[in-house]
Amino acid sequence: MSNQDATVNDISMAQVAESASFANAPVAMSLRNVSVAFNGRTAVRDVSFDVPQNAVTALIGPSGSGKTTLLRALNRLHDLTKGAVVSGEVKLGDIDVYGGTIPTTVLRSRIGMVFQRPNPFPTMSLYDNVVSGLRFNGVKKKSILDDACEQALTAAAIWDEVKDRLKAHGSTLSGGQQQRLCIARALAVEPEVLLMDEPTSALDPISTASIEELIGQIKNRVTIVIVTHNMQQAARVSDQTAFLLMAEDRAGVQIEVGPTSKIFNDPDDSRTLDYIRGRFG
Amino acid sequence: MTTLHLDNSHHIREHLRERASATIKRRQFVSRLMIALCWLAIGLAALPLGDVIINLFTHGWSSVSSWAFYSQLPAQPTLVSPDAVGGVSNAIVGSAVILGYALIGALPIGIGIGVYTAESDSRFAATLRLVVATMVGAPSILMGLFAFGLVVVQFGMGFCIMAGSFAIGTMMLPVLAASTEIAVRNVPATLREAGLALGAKKSTTSLRIVLPAAITGIVSGAILAISRAIGETAPVLLVIGGSQAFTWKAGDFGEALPFMIYQDASSSYPAQRAQAWGIALFIVIVVFFLSLTARIWANSKQKERR
Amino acid sequence: MSLNTSTVSSPSPVTNVEGRKRPSTSSRGAYEYVLLTAAALFALIAAYFVGTVIWRAVPAFREQGFGFFSNAMWNASFDPTVPSQFGSLSMIVGTLITSGIAILIAVIVGTGTALAITFLLPSRLRTIAATLIELLAAVPSVVYGVWGLIVLTPWFQYTVGPWLAGIPGFDWLFGTTAGGQCYLLAGLVLGAMILPSYVAIGREVINSVSKELIEASLSLGATQWQTLWKTVIPTARIGLFGAGTLALGRAIGETVAMSMVLGSALSTNYQLLKPGATLAGWIATQWGEAQGSSQVPALFALGVILMVVSLSMSLISNRLVARQRRAATL
Repeated sequence: MSNQDATVNDISMAQVAESASFANAPVAMSLRNVSVAFNGRTAVRDVSFDVPQNAVTALIGPSGSGKTTLLRALNRLHDLTKGAVVSGEVKLGDIDVYGGTIPTTVLRSRIGMVFQRPNPFPTMSLYDNVVSGLRFNGVKKKSILDDACEQALTAAAIWDEVKDRLKAHGSTLSGGQQQRLCIARALAVEPEVLLMDEPTSALDPISTASIEELIGQIKNRVTIVIVTHNMQQAARVSDQTAFLLMAEDRAGVQIEVGPTSKIFNDPDDSRTLDYIRGRFG
Repeated sequence: MTTLHLDNSHHIREHLRERASATIKRRQFVSRLMIALCWLAIGLAALPLGDVIINLFTHGWSSVSSWAFYSQLPAQPTLVSPDAVGGVSNAIVGSAVILGYALIGALPIGIGIGVYTAESDSRFAATLRLVVATMVGAPSILMGLFAFGLVVVQFGMGFCIMAGSFAIGTMMLPVLAASTEIAVRNVPATLREAGLALGAKKSTTSLRIVLPAAITGIVSGAILAISRAIGETAPVLLVIGGSQAFTWKAGDFGEALPFMIYQDASSSYPAQRAQAWGIALFIVIVVFFLSLTARIWANSKQKERR
Repeated sequence: MSLNTSTVSSPSPVTNVEGRKRPSTSSRGAYEYVLLTAAALFALIAAYFVGTVIWRAVPAFREQGFGFFSNAMWNASFDPTVPSQFGSLSMIVGTLITSGIAILIAVIVGTGTALAITFLLPSRLRTIAATLIELLAAVPSVVYGVWGLIVLTPWFQYTVGPWLAGIPGFDWLFGTTAGGQCYLLAGLVLGAMILPSYVAIGREVINSVSKELIEASLSLGATQWQTLWKTVIPTARIGLFGAGTLALGRAIGETVAMSMVLGSALSTNYQLLKPGATLAGWIATQWGEAQGSSQVPALFALGVILMVVSLSMSLISNRLVARQRRAATL
């Protein structure tokens, strides 16, 4: 992780002021003592915090601290991995994510995901990509699909660019545009929470900046949890930050969680301060 | 920043939620059904293939494990001695001889053309590449027809081992060429550039640097071609004439392992049919060991490089 | 690949920057001559290959005319006053039916198997399955012929055949007499034969679909099957089609197994329990007794048909492989 990016002091006071405290805000998801183990080896241990609604929560930490593992536990992606065990409690509102009361497929349409490398479905047109989630869930009416497509692409701030070539393929877009397409695709199924796994790390700086701006715009309609290895991005974009670190037994543990302004200006834990100051990671 | 049309959003969201919960049971059912069908597919695939393997071993093991199989010439069972089938020594030697003559011609030409098409950009090379790709998939019986026309008739040699070698050789050529080309192309360009940068001529670079680096792939390709050649019946069936004798002369009638399987399989004597299975098992074992050797050799070469 | 353009640079110009004459680098050394010889020899062999088959088939085409394609009979006449009648129609029908059954089996069962191996099997079994598949792909076709002839034919003759022939309302498909050697059996044997190579290639192609695409699909709320059907298979589509074309090519050209399990009947009857003949199989079956007669050119003519069919299939699958490569680099 390079330290030549802007230091914490460059963050404008306006942004800092916006990170309010979340003591009474409604909670989109809550985590209690969440641990993830693979074949007996713990990768994430005992994480507990709330994800406030319509806000951006960032997970930061050096590589190996388990941020992505934790993120993927939220939409049950670890179900695909043999030998993976998730313990503790993950709740979406009142629903226990791992409780089995709602089917995993329905759950996953309420907790969407955007990945590190833009991954539009290669054999589908732009239109088909955006509405693919709706079609998977049984929506067939063309008028609904058209509306949802326009809505989602508008929310991803790419509608004007592509509205005349919806039948084109995903490969005709640039990297930044493809990522917006993927964001639109995820938004089209109207999730309550959107998980983002280092969504800008494969993009150039300009696209990164525009995606960050987009995140600020869409948090009104969807709660966001974003994993990023770029501290400054976390500071720019998030309202709440959770800092994770790899413990001696190589499991990721939560060091500190709090409003972003606090984490970046006046953290409680000295390890957090060291990380912020760039002393490691 | 565009303001979101919240009314529209609600109507989409409601429709979506309704459709999602209305269809979830059906979608889950279909998913489970199709997954079960995939399991069924793998079972259906395993049935005949497993049956082939089981039959190979049950019927063929007694032949393959007997010394007589390798040392004796085939005999004709009679009603009096229905088990007197002898061995297949002439077929083993025959296959080896046919393969040997074929390799003498096919190896240099096949590898040569593979290197040529890998290194050259000319139209001629491109055409050759296409010809190779087409010939790889050609039915092997066509090679038999070719060998018949050329060797048996035109050269006037009649049915003979040389015709068989011609057929097998023509069959191996495209396989050798294709795998050699791939092996040479897989050599990193940096290796070649390093050679050229040191001042070596293009040909020296190719001979001394690129080819040795590609040798693994070339040998694997050769083993692949040989494996195929051992088992192919059609090309030899048409041109070698068949024989009960032990020979290696190019002009004599020849015998080959797959050809003998073909002859024995329709016999009315169970012992001869069992011998057919024995030859089949023998071929499978040989091919298996050949590819195992190729893989081990390739792996050891990889480790050497590290 | 950039390999070629960087290495096949034309020889350096005669004079260098300072105007002095460079030492002449011979543009054609011994090495190049050796390669060119090999290439020329190969071109010669290939040309002779095609030429011989066509040349020796000409007498038959001349004698039979276009009837060669429409005639279902195969009568060699030893009386010089009676013309021989050779027609390839029965074999064409036979090849179509057997290859059709085989490719259907290979694609349906094979794609399901490839999906199962990649996604359903635990990882230890996966490697075993992959090795087994490759081993089976190397088993010579004559082995399948033996298996079909010795093991399956009696079963078909006494069990399967009568049962199928007895199903009411399906006479049109199966026919009413139960045979041992028949189209259905040949199709099954052929299908089993081409299955391993199809699965081997198909598995690779399916395996190469990136995990992230699959996760993206699931994250939208798709069921497992929806993901396989709408994401994995379409992405792997081109490669699967290529594998299918290769398998089909092999099925069409299969000789020995077909001559062993199809019987040798000349008819355009498509009923599945009837015996028949394929292009390649008929050449093998008739070869012995055809020697020295006008049958030989006719058999070569069948070879020409085979050649044309296999050529077109090769061209198609080459196109497909090229497209898949281009698509993969996007």
